[in-house]
Amino acid sequence: MNDVIIAILRSGTPLVYVTLAGVIAQRAGVWNLGLEGLMNIGACATILGIMLTQSYAAAILIAIAMCVIASVLLWFVIEKLKANPIIAGLGLTGLGIGGTALAVESIFGSQATVTAPFGAPKLGAAFGAYGVLSIFVAAMPFVVFALWLLLKRSRFGLQLSASGEHPFAARGVGIQPVRMRLIALSIGGILCAIGGAELATRSLQFFSPGKTSRRGFMAFAAGLFGGAHPIRATAAAFFFAIAGALGIRAQLMFGDKVPHDLLQALPYLATVFGVWLSGKLGGAKTAGSFGELKDQ
Amino acid sequence: MRDRAIAILRSLIFVAFSLILCAVVFQFAGYNAPQMLTAVVDGAFLRPGAVEQSLRWALPLFITAVGVGISFRAGFFNIGAQGQFYVGAIAAAFAAEALRGGPAFIVIPLIFLAGMTGGALWALWPGLLKLRSGTDEVIPALRGNFLAGLLLVYVTSGPLKDPSGSGQQVSSRPLDAAYRISNSLGLSPTIIGIAIVVGILMWVLVNRTSFGVLASLAGRNGTMVRWQGAKLWQLGLSSFVISGALAGLAGTIEFMGPNGRIASGFLPTHGFTAILIALVANLSVVGTAAVAIFFGGLASAALYLPIMAGLPAAAIDIINAAIALFITARTHVEKFLRLGRRSS
Repeated sequence: MNDVIIAILRSGTPLVYVTLAGVIAQRAGVWNLGLEGLMNIGACATILGIMLTQSYAAAILIAIAMCVIASVLLWFVIEKLKANPIIAGLGLTGLGIGGTALAVESIFGSQATVTAPFGAPKLGAAFGAYGVLSIFVAAMPFVVFALWLLLKRSRFGLQLSASGEHPFAARGVGIQPVRMRLIALSIGGILCAIGGAELATRSLQFFSPGKTSRRGFMAFAAGLFGGAHPIRATAAAFFFAIAGALGIRAQLMFGDKVPHDLLQALPYLATVFGVWLSGKLGGAKTAGSFGELKDQ
Repeated sequence: MRDRAIAILRSLIFVAFSLILCAVVFQFAGYNAPQMLTAVVDGAFLRPGAVEQSLRWALPLFITAVGVGISFRAGFFNIGAQGQFYVGAIAAAFAAEALRGGPAFIVIPLIFLAGMTGGALWALWPGLLKLRSGTDEVIPALRGNFLAGLLLVYVTSGPLKDPSGSGQQVSSRPLDAAYRISNSLGLSPTIIGIAIVVGILMWVLVNRTSFGVLASLAGRNGTMVRWQGAKLWQLGLSSFVISGALAGLAGTIEFMGPNGRIASGFLPTHGFTAILIALVANLSVVGTAAVAIFFGGLASAALYLPIMAGLPAAAIDIINAAIALFITARTHVEKFLRLGRRSS
């Protein structure tokens, strides 16, 4: 039982951090499909940072800096150049995937796997069987709670929601939606960097091009599924993680009887079912007008 | 007219801007940027045979993009084109397998029918979820893409596996030469004809029928259309099905034309590029044709770049992504060029 919970916590934690990034962007009115690219940048920068500085803390700071820069680029493009957020976000995802592949290739001369000498700090023996998990797993509930406080119980959170949903009204009471979105996307960048770092260094510390394999899109979906509420979105992310873990279980148990690829499809089917259910119950939001910002 | 010219000019400026930005980045990463830019132009349009190559990529992209444009017009963000493209190709491959040996003039239309039906059915279920239970269409369509990718892996390594294939990439048995609609270069009168017919039909559908007008209105103001007595869900579902059928048609063309078989993970960015084309063209059919030729040129240059400029394959993804990042930008350029009023 312990190993199942560990597997779910391990696969769920990076997803949760990135989901929260999607949630905060969605609250500000931005449908951030760049999450996949940001997560890749975070993962790659962490591994390269460890190799460069031999310090985990410095590597995380480098990853955060890179992700925040990329997020500000996205903000600039959709806010100042008034590009379509969904297309620009997909573009950022492409830049993240292609850029990390190019970085690895231009440094190491091939698109091979890059392995760092050490990974994320672990919880240690005091936590028994759970000691193999990284500190980010333990920090995750606090981050979720902090974000819930920030978004649902603070003046800033209210201003952010106002900027997303009624930007004109928000401007009328002296809020600057443009600046609110910059803050939201920057916080999202930090969260994506941590999510990417956790993904890259949780057990085997390596990066290979395309490492995130669509987890960013999963996280985006979890944010929608959870109706942009930090706690509900976290639950949705864990729902996906559990579906994925069960998919792997099923492969181990029935792999010889049922085609492997069809079992791999289980998490996706679970997602569609979940989204359908939440649509039925009226929880999920819809994009409307291709995810354009409401004040453009 | 003037608005349209400004829109095209703006797109071109942002494309040029993206290319220059990429060139700067590549220069810093230690590659030869000027060589890269000339290689892009050469590979797309100047090199002998480049125009044919560009058209080879442009025509299937155009067909998918027109379909995407129809569903976007009706207000549905159908980003499942990639999955519909795959399922269309899979259905076509199954049909070809089942009808092996029949006379070409019967088999070829049936393969096309199967491909378009496959694509339409793959579009139907996110459409039904959206219109019957209010599920947001973005996630099912996105998941549909991943599911179709897995289905393709399963089909090419299972039921349709080519037993003589090497272990590197699994693919289906090649299509009989009698049923191919082009050689492996991928441009033939048949394919050009299909693209022209699709273009004309869709232009008429969008601009000259009540369906097209109502669908466009539904995209802008669904409530109004419902009050006028039109059945919104019929409009929406038809637009989903048309867009899926066209993506399936493009998949069938790739299967029967240039590829001659389906392989796991073939043309993985087709749907995304088609969405990009539809949006850049502002959903107009004529514009889609022009933009498709441009992106076809980029696709053909992409094959040429690694040889000519020594750039790694990832560089192509970066160029495409940079264009995607900036292409929908719609500000400042007119002001900068003093070209008159803002159009958005």
